[in-house]
Parts: sequence; structure tokens; C-alpha cells
Amino acid sequence: MATRPRTRSSRRSREDRVPQGPLAGTDNGAGGRGPRRRLHPAGQAIVVAIGALLLGAFLNARGLHKTAQSMNPSWKRDLGLALSGPLQTISDGTALDLPRRGVQAALGRSGDDDIVTAIKLPPPPPPVVAKPPHRRPVVPPAPHQGNPQPPPPPVAPPPPAPPPRKPAFSPKHPLRVYIGGDSLVIVPGESLLRAMGSKVYKPIDSVDGHVATGLERPDVYNWFDRIREVMKNDKPNVVIVAFGANDDHSYMTGLPAGANLGEFGSAAWIKEYRRRVGGFMDSVIRAHGFVVYLGMPIVQSPSERSDFDLINRILYQEAKKRPNGAVYIDTWFQFADPATGGYAEYLKNSHGDLVKVRADDGVHFEPAGGDIIARLVLKQLNKRYDLTSWRKRG
Amino acid sequence: MIFPTTTFAVFFCIVLVASWLLMPHPRFWRLFIIGASFVFYADWNWKFVGLLAFSILWNQAIGVGIHRARVQSQRQALVGLGVVVDVGLLGYFKYYDFFVSSGSNVFSDLGLGGFPIGTKAIVLPVGISFFTFMAISYIVDIYRRELEPASLAKFGAYLSFFPHLVAGPIVRGSELLPQLETPRDPRRVDTSRAFYLIATGLFKKVVIANYLATHVVDQVFGAPVQHSSLETWIAVFAYAVQIYADFSGYTDMAIGIALLLGFKFPQNFDSPYAAISIQDFWRRWHMTLSRWLRDYVYIPLGGNRKGEPRTYLNLMATMLIGGLWHGAAWSFVIWGGLHGAWLAIGRYRREHGLATDATSGWALWRQRIATFGLVCFAWIFFRSGSENGLSTAFEVIGRLFNNWGAPSPLVTGGVLLAIAVGIGTQYLPARIPQAIMSWFSRRQVAVQIVVLAFALMLSRTMGPQGVAPFIYFQF
Repeated sequence: MATRPRTRSSRRSREDRVPQGPLAGTDNGAGGRGPRRRLHPAGQAIVVAIGALLLGAFLNARGLHKTAQSMNPSWKRDLGLALSGPLQTISDGTALDLPRRGVQAALGRSGDDDIVTAIKLPPPPPPVVAKPPHRRPVVPPAPHQGNPQPPPPPVAPPPPAPPPRKPAFSPKHPLRVYIGGDSLVIVPGESLLRAMGSKVYKPIDSVDGHVATGLERPDVYNWFDRIREVMKNDKPNVVIVAFGANDDHSYMTGLPAGANLGEFGSAAWIKEYRRRVGGFMDSVIRAHGFVVYLGMPIVQSPSERSDFDLINRILYQEAKKRPNGAVYIDTWFQFADPATGGYAEYLKNSHGDLVKVRADDGVHFEPAGGDIIARLVLKQLNKRYDLTSWRKRG
Repeated sequence: MIFPTTTFAVFFCIVLVASWLLMPHPRFWRLFIIGASFVFYADWNWKFVGLLAFSILWNQAIGVGIHRARVQSQRQALVGLGVVVDVGLLGYFKYYDFFVSSGSNVFSDLGLGGFPIGTKAIVLPVGISFFTFMAISYIVDIYRRELEPASLAKFGAYLSFFPHLVAGPIVRGSELLPQLETPRDPRRVDTSRAFYLIATGLFKKVVIANYLATHVVDQVFGAPVQHSSLETWIAVFAYAVQIYADFSGYTDMAIGIALLLGFKFPQNFDSPYAAISIQDFWRRWHMTLSRWLRDYVYIPLGGNRKGEPRTYLNLMATMLIGGLWHGAAWSFVIWGGLHGAWLAIGRYRREHGLATDATSGWALWRQRIATFGLVCFAWIFFRSGSENGLSTAFEVIGRLFNNWGAPSPLVTGGVLLAIAVGIGTQYLPARIPQAIMSWFSRRQVAVQIVVLAFALMLSRTMGPQGVAPFIYFQF
């Protein structure tokens, strides 16, 4: 069948005429306005396109190598590393990397292409030695010196000790809060920033969310360095983080020398991931911060669900080991369907309205979901800190 | 697969060479390009390849059926069936949960108990809005006798052609099918325009849009209460530039890629922020969607042929549908409603001699600034997105006025420069890009390679690490 568009009228052709615009380009050079441009044979188009991509690859070799390095283990990563390695060597040797380095230096981003895998963790805390229960020293009775003393009257048991005073914060002395992590922290973090307002809480900048990062791959983003820098420069009282959603692989960088990781979920894998989670928490605690670690929610994919469950258990156990320095917030059950216990995209809010809490990808949150997590976090912070008595003091 | 990735670069090099080699053999070429387009689509999620294949087979069957039907009622029934199934598929994937949750809330508010059906976690297939609209235009054009059905292979190549597949432009059958009819001329390829569009599109998307998103827009719209009035104003302008740079950048690349393969797509943007009225804005913004809505919604509703009140109603209905097309949320409906209302008001003022389009001087600039202001105001609803969108939008609007004097660390020289570049380039005389393309077209091959490679290097180096998805993928 022949395709034969029928022209209707001059009205249609006038309407279909495409206006010209500067950034969007213009009509065919042969008939367009302005200086005429030459049309070229297809062979030249192919040569220029492939030639420019090849030369561009040499100019960007360091960036390409970093990109390949950052990929998850797969044949694509292996191929990318196999190609970009020699590309980078040639680029460095022929000074083709200089323009990129120059632009990066001008933008203040000279470290963009560095691949850092080292993890600096504080030494593990000394094991807590169980102390014997405190007992009043038994005073031996004094040697008999005449008439025996009458026995002392019975003493009422002391009143229960008042709960330890919670550290108090006020608008003059606000609670400094840092929020960071992978993509799962972004929406809840924004909900938290909205819910915290601007009085007693002092957020350190916006949500420090870095997509596709975690504790497995310091070469992609080194959270261990980042948290030390934050603790040193910004001195937050509370560090709210979410990691784990990108950590369900049988691959980590920054392993101790000679360490063998094994498959995801193996004993060696769990040991190494536990070391990282615990080390991250200790980096905050040693700098006098308190860690609020957000667990991962139930997700749509069944395979990811079991991976996340394993990681959540590690997060929970590591937080539990540090009761005065960290708390784990469960989000799994908060986002499960109340009827089936399975994944739910919509949940009822406090008004009984059905609202969309999860994004279409089956992993991330919608703002209404972020609000649920924000409420859980604020509840924990109110348990630990006195954030309201300043109001009574006027 | 998205354009600014190494994977796509490798894919495209292979397709470019093979496409020109096969071009003298149209049958093989069409099969090849369908296969390549399916590979391109499957790279995102292979499970939805079947949906694309179904759309091709279904709409081709309907198109042929309409063409063969001799009785008008049969033709009407077939086109109706075709459109209902297309819209039904789109509705299922895109709006099912939205309508169920809205219905459930209405039931709950009225005390009617539980809603009879529940939500499902439905994954939205990338590009479904675009290829569905193209398919509808194909069968409706056949119904209107403006187009004759193509062969299955031609129609398959038309609907799945990878440059437009996931984010437009919405190319009509009458534009692309004739180009698929005969081999493209390998001696006359508009390479300078193609490379210009690809390089500037890449820069707009990767550098400008991503920079503004990460340095001001996401932060302010994410937590408006944490930001000053100045930051909020700047974020609103920045979002206007971000969405323009993001979407027009993508479609510029799509047009450029198609040009290298020998095909011409319609232009999709024409300096929209230089518009002097909302009507003018819609002649310049997402032009292929605007004309689709005009030809397949506004005119069938009666257009301006059924009296003045009905014309305003039709404008409003068309823009509400346009708003809903962008996303299943009330904030998108409000965005569409605002544009519909402004279009109706603008038409009323012109019809009654209360306003005229200025052509020069202060009046022109006043109209441009007023139009830009209205467009930016509506973008607040658009950006605020799905759930909680309305409350976020009102928070942003409140913040525009009630936190002056607070520190504004997000208002940096870089942010202001990116906004200035994004808006300023819309006022560049057309002769400047023409001159650049002309200059480029006269250079030797080696010079062209070096210039283009440096442009790629600049975008790659100045952009953020990693690739952020395009905003319009979700639509």
C-alpha cells in the first residue's frame, strides 16, 4: 500500500509550518534563511560522528574510566574497564587529558575523576566488660566496746531515680541535624526539612543525597570520608542516614588486604558489611553525634525484598550494639499493606484518605511516604532530646 | 537507553553505519530499524516490548480496517474502537491508580464505605504517552482520509523509530511515513544542523538543566519552608529554565539523530520564553503536542465553530486534558486549568478589542515579562508533582512573599548565570546559530571532528557525574 498523505488546504500547511528558533535550530540549510550551509554525503556524517566520539573518548578518558569503575559488576563494566584503561593511558601519554583537567580546575572540580577506594574507619570500641552489680560495701561490725548498740530503724527504700535529663535544645541553641545517604533518603529528608521548621532544628544544608551510592563502593562515593568531613566541619548533633539499597551485590571495593568477600549474604560478606555499618556509626558517635539509621522499606521486587531484609537485620543489630549512639528506624512494616503484609503503593493517611506513598519504580517514596518517615524520626528525636521546654520558659 | 550515555553512543554508531548501508534496500532497512528500535526500547525494560508490538499491530489493523470499510458507520465504529483501546491502555498504565485512589477518597468522604476496587502497583512504560498519541493520530488521519494506511513494516518503523520513541517529538504519519517510502538521499545530509542540535541539546540537558536542578530547584521545592523568599523566586525561574533545557535538549538531540539518519522531524520548541501571550507560548512550547491537542481534541470538540462560550469551554477542556497527559495528579490538572483559563481570557480580550499583540518597544517587553510570569506561576504546580503536590505548591507560593531577609546561600553566581544563559539565548537573533552552522558546514572533516569532540568533552566535564533521567520520561 502506498502512503500518500493528502494535503488538505493552505490552512493546514500554514499551521504545520515550523517557526524558527535560535537554540532549537532552523530549517534545512538549502532553503532556509540566513547564511547557507553545505549539505554533506552520509559517509561524511558517519566519519564525523564516529571520529568525534572517538576523539571525545580520548579527551574524556579519565571520566569514562571513572564511569566504568563505578558500574555494578557485569560484562558491561568489565568491557568498559578493559577499553577505558588503555584509553586513559594513551590520553595521559599524549596530553589529550589536559583540556578536561583544565576545565575541571577552572570549575574547582579537580578531584572528580579520582578513584578512591580506601576506607578509614575508627578502631572498634573496646568490648564492654560486664561490671558486677553495685553493692554497698559490707562494713565489718566494729569490735565490741561495751554495751551493744540497738539495731538501726528500718529505712524506706530510696525513691526511683528520676530519668536522666535529656539534652535540651532551643532556638538559641538549636539541634544541628545532618541528613544524607542514597536516593532513598532524598524524599524523606525533604519531608523532615519541611516538618522540622526553622526554630529548634538547624539543618546542615539540604539533603545530602547521592543517587546510586552506599557503603559497598567507596570508589563511587566515599561516605566514610564524607561523614568525617561533615562531623569535623559542621558538627551535627544528629546524623540521619539511609544506606543499603545499592549495597546488595557480591562486590565491594576498599576491602582489607587479603579479604575474601564471597557471595552477597555469605558470612564473609555479612562480616565486612557489618564492619562498615558499625564503623560508619562509630565515626559519628566518636565525634559526639547521634545516628538515626533509616531501614529500608518493603519493595516491589521479591528478590530485592529478601536482599533488603538481610541488610536491614545488619543495620538493626549494629544500632542495637550502640544504644546510646544510634537508633534504627524500621520502615519496612510502616510501608507494608496492612491487610496482606505485602508491598503497597497506596496507604491510608491519618485522615483516612488513600494516598500514594511509593514512587512508580516500586522502591522510592512519594512525599506522602516521606512524611510518614519524618514523623517516625521526629518521634525518636523527641524521645532523646528535650526540644519543647524552651517554649514553657518563654 | 537514553541519549547521553556511552551505551547509546556505541548503539548509534552501529545503527548509523548499518542504516546507510541498508538504505538502498528499503525492505531490509525497515526491518533493521524496527529491530534496532526494539533493542533500544528493551534496554529499559524488555517486558514492555510486547506492549509496543501490540500497539503497532492493533493500530495497523484498525487503520487498514477503516480504509477498507465502505460504510461511514463502520469507519466511525472502527476509529472509535481504536481510540478507546489506545486511550484505555494509556489510562490503565498511567491513570488507573490515580482514579482508584481519588474514587476511594470520594467514597470515604461521602461515607459510602470502601471503594469496590483497589490500587495496583503499575509500572508506567516509558514513552507510552508519546507512541500512543502518534498511533491515535495515524488512525484518525486515515479516518479523516488525510492519510492512507502504510504497510505494516512502514507503520512499525514509524511508530517505533527510536529517535522519537521515548520523549517525542510527536511526529505525525503525514510527516514521517512519506520519508519511509523512499530511500533517503545519501548525498545530501544536513550534518551541520544535526551536529549543532545534538551538541546544544546535550549541553542544555547535561549542563544547564542538571546544574539548576541540583543546585537550587530540588532543594527549594523539596523543602520550601527552609528557604528564603529570594531563593524561592530564583528557584521558580530556575525551574522554568530547567524544564525547558531538559525537554528541548532531549528533543533537539532526537531531531539531530534523526537528521543524521536522513529523516526530518518537526521542530518542538521555538524560544518559548520570548512569547508575548499564553497563546503565543503554546505556539512555541512543545509544539508537536500543542498541534496534536488542537487537531485531535480542540477541533473535534468544536473548536471555535460553536459560539464564544463553547470556544472557551473547549479551550479549557483541551488544556485540562493536556495537563492530565503530563501526569496523574491534581497539580498537573491545575497547571492545565491555569493555562486553559489564561488562553480563554486572552482570547476574550482579543476578540473584544481589549488587547493587541505588541510588536515593538516597551509594550512588547511588558507582554513578554507578563507572559513569562504567568508561565512561571503555573510551573510551580507542575513541579510540585504528584502526591502532596498542591500543598507543596502553596508552600512555595507562600514562601515567595513571607521570608524576605533570610540568608540565601543557594543564590549563587553560577545559578544566576545558568538562568541568564537559559533565558538570554531565547532572544538571540536566528542568524547567530545559522552562522555557526554555516561556518561548521564549510570546515574540513578533521576540523568538524575536533570541534564536535571538544563540545562533547565540555558537556561531559561540566555536567554532573552520572546521568540524571529526563523529566519528560515520566510523561
